[in-house]
Amino acid sequence: MYKYAIRRLALAIPVLLLSSLIVFGLMRVMPGDALTALMAESGNVGERELAKLRKDLGLDRPYYEQYLIWLWQMVSLNPGDSIFTNEPIAVALKKAIPVTFELATLAMILGLAIAVPIGVISAIRQDTPADYAGRVVAVSGLSLPDFWLGTLVITFAAIWFRWIPPLGYTSFWESPTRNLQQFLLPAAVLGFRLSAATMRMTRSTVLEVLREDYVRTAWAKGLAGRIVVYKHALKNALIPVVTIVGGQLGTLLAGAVVVETIFALPGMGRLTVEAILFRDYPVVQTNVMLVAAILVTLNLLVDLTYAWLDPRIHYQ
Amino acid sequence: MATATARAADFEVAPTVALSRTRALWAAIRRKPLGAASATLIGLLVLTAIFADVLAPYDPLAAQPEIRLAPPSRAHLFGTDDIGRDVLSRIIYGSRISLWVGLLAVGIGTIAGMIIGLACGYWEGRLDMILQRIMDAVQAIPGLMLALAIVSVLKPSTTNAMLAIAVVIIPGNSRIVRAAVLSAKQNRYVEAAEALGCRQLHILGSHILPNVTAPILIIASIWFGNAILIEATLSFLGLGTQPPTPSWGLMLSSTGRAFMEQAPWLAIFPGLAISLAVLGFNLFGDTLRDAWDPKLRRNR
Repeated sequence: MYKYAIRRLALAIPVLLLSSLIVFGLMRVMPGDALTALMAESGNVGERELAKLRKDLGLDRPYYEQYLIWLWQMVSLNPGDSIFTNEPIAVALKKAIPVTFELATLAMILGLAIAVPIGVISAIRQDTPADYAGRVVAVSGLSLPDFWLGTLVITFAAIWFRWIPPLGYTSFWESPTRNLQQFLLPAAVLGFRLSAATMRMTRSTVLEVLREDYVRTAWAKGLAGRIVVYKHALKNALIPVVTIVGGQLGTLLAGAVVVETIFALPGMGRLTVEAILFRDYPVVQTNVMLVAAILVTLNLLVDLTYAWLDPRIHYQ
Repeated sequence: MATATARAADFEVAPTVALSRTRALWAAIRRKPLGAASATLIGLLVLTAIFADVLAPYDPLAAQPEIRLAPPSRAHLFGTDDIGRDVLSRIIYGSRISLWVGLLAVGIGTIAGMIIGLACGYWEGRLDMILQRIMDAVQAIPGLMLALAIVSVLKPSTTNAMLAIAVVIIPGNSRIVRAAVLSAKQNRYVEAAEALGCRQLHILGSHILPNVTAPILIIASIWFGNAILIEATLSFLGLGTQPPTPSWGLMLSSTGRAFMEQAPWLAIFPGLAISLAVLGFNLFGDTLRDAWDPKLRRNR
């Protein structure tokens, strides 16, 4: 297990380095450079000011130097300043990360609370109306765009219940009720989307496990259905679900981009979209890289959990 | 002689495989209600896009300010938007953008992913190691984030959104093709073709490729739905198709959200169009998988 953990960690580092090269390269393939594009859009700026700005941002240095400087900034958790607001990116992120973290955690909890029971019922009652209904919910979760669902939820909450969720962000410690009012709808929208894949996976693994010999033995012993399903089958069926939940983390962070924009939550997703719209490339490259780093780390943890949950897995 | 044997093998294997797959798919579409529903949805979408000129009752760009924000009526089935453009006509024309983006993005992504996957799986070794690590690195960045970053560099437009989506598709595809190639390589006839001295490209093209087409097509159909969804999302965020071109995602963001309480139809119909299109391709992917992958059949 330890060897496996170390080997996985050793593989994750080059992947992250390569990702950073891709992100850095991407931001530099623009014809001219970020600044020229920025200036071209913002109007007349003299050559001299442009040259000075370029020097200040380190854009006049060779690419490899710029890359190494940026890498060092990322590692030392001080990724420079935004060119649009001049605020240090670390400060902006410090405000944005807790918002996205809360949204993602709530969405994950809500998503699992919807997905696992429906998936289990769908499997136990295979090919009955309950199963079909469950599968329709799952497929619609995959097909309904979250920005549409979000828009509809806001519209119909306003039309039918005369209730508009308080937009913006209040910290949980400041006012827990207001905070939850702000987060409940966006987390539900995001969680619904998330639940689709988990629901499908739960259904198929439960179906598979229900056909195993030991489950048949449990039935043959005369155990109650509830005990067979929940104590014997579900425990093993949920192991692969851990992986799919891990695979969903990307969807979760990407979904946060849209949901935060709609519900006006000042999280990382909205920060990134705004940075893109203002061509604030230091913010874009830092955020994209940070998300990649978070994902690689979380996936690593998921894989390790998986190895820990299923003792049959031996990694060479 | 080698080519003659190879051709004989093609003659024996390829047509039957293709024929039985078409039959299996046709059977799945006819027998399973969800299969039939998916085929109908996709058929409708394609026909709408092709015959948009004939089907659309009005010019999708023509503004009639005097009837702005008119609710659905007999003259305007889906109502009109904030400058009096017919929503139905815009949705009909929008199907072209969605289908076009899906087609090109998935086409480019699938072909590039396939070439990388074939090369990695067939030659393995250092090439495989390097390419797969690059794929890992691309996949480490969530699809939408990567697409956003690419579009931000290239400038928001339909074409750039399409390219960005194609890049997002490549790594996953290459991995699936690679796995299929690795298993297809174990077949005796591949060994035989190698022993006969067939050229590597020939072996790849005629003996291995037919084995990987099923997973490629299944994954392509699922990606088609996703591509439509990502394009809509990018346009919704203002980073995809630009106004006044009618794109479903853009219709939702530009007017749908601004007037959603006064004119909910502006948000409902474009969203419905996206959902039905994506649903069609998702269900079609499921149908293809059920029809072609015997391992998955028993659980359905």
